[in-house]
Amino acid sequence: MATTYVKPAKGIRKVSAIIAVAAANTPEVLYQRTTGGTNPRTVILRKLMIYNNTGANAVVTVGVGLGVAFAAIIPPVYSTNLFDNEWTEDDLPVDEVGVDDDLTVQATVAGVQVQAEVEEIGS
Amino acid sequence: MPALPQLYPYKAGPIEPIVLPGETVGVWVNKRYTFFEVLYIEGITRSDPLEFDFGAIAAQALTAVLPLALLDMPNAEFAQYRAAVIDDISVILYQGRADQRHKLGSRVATYTKYTDLLDPDGHSGEFYVFEQEHAFGQAGNQTDYPITTARMVFWGFRYVLQELKQWTWLSKLPTVWTRVPATAHL
Repeated sequence: MATTYVKPAKGIRKVSAIIAVAAANTPEVLYQRTTGGTNPRTVILRKLMIYNNTGANAVVTVGVGLGVAFAAIIPPVYSTNLFDNEWTEDDLPVDEVGVDDDLTVQATVAGVQVQAEVEEIGS
Repeated sequence: MPALPQLYPYKAGPIEPIVLPGETVGVWVNKRYTFFEVLYIEGITRSDPLEFDFGAIAAQALTAVLPLALLDMPNAEFAQYRAAVIDDISVILYQGRADQRHKLGSRVATYTKYTDLLDPDGHSGEFYVFEQEHAFGQAGNQTDYPITTARMVFWGFRYVLQELKQWTWLSKLPTVWTRVPATAHL
């Protein structure tokens, strides 16, 4: 029986602004997905870049939703004070489906700098 | 025996001329074909002078329908163009002013970043401009934030023509000719 493979996604790469997390343990928008076309696009996280010079180690979580609706889309990552961290496609879960929402982020320490690279699927 | 070149409009792959010098074309303008012999062909490179900026666009907004006068040709010439958008915009092509190209029954296909992604040679968006029969474009900002530039770039071939008055659309057609849809076919 033939094996079926999922085709690689065909999207365009975009990046978020570099944000400094405003408040500890409070989700905020990291990447605002594009909704100006006929249908909103789907967002796939492809790279995560973090720099932490807050004076304390931090746990950073990327997800969707704000407030109590926040839901992680990857496990929390640990950001060591005065270190930079990059999680690339090799490190992130393979995802050819994505999320139909803005990406949000929360960190246990305010001031952690975060940027996401995404692939947007749409038209 | 050398193989004959396979030349025709909208051909898949990198752009090629649609005819050879000495061949006959019928150019569709004003709802009829006018016939010409092609005297000369040369390339129009994808380059800075062939870039059009629709300007700043508010989030999710549309521009007016703007003339793409940079694509106009001299008298007795037409151009074959392909196009790609550079910014995250969606462009509707018009030929003439109120006539959309690439239209379906209830929708109009547009040029977006995804067109370029899946059709890097741009053959599905090929179009033709005869003399000063402007093409027009209307750009939409796909994003949720204002953009300051909305650029589209063009490339193709220039064709210098000589009219063949012995052939007419309604009474006497050439035996072999290539259709050049230089305005929308309504």
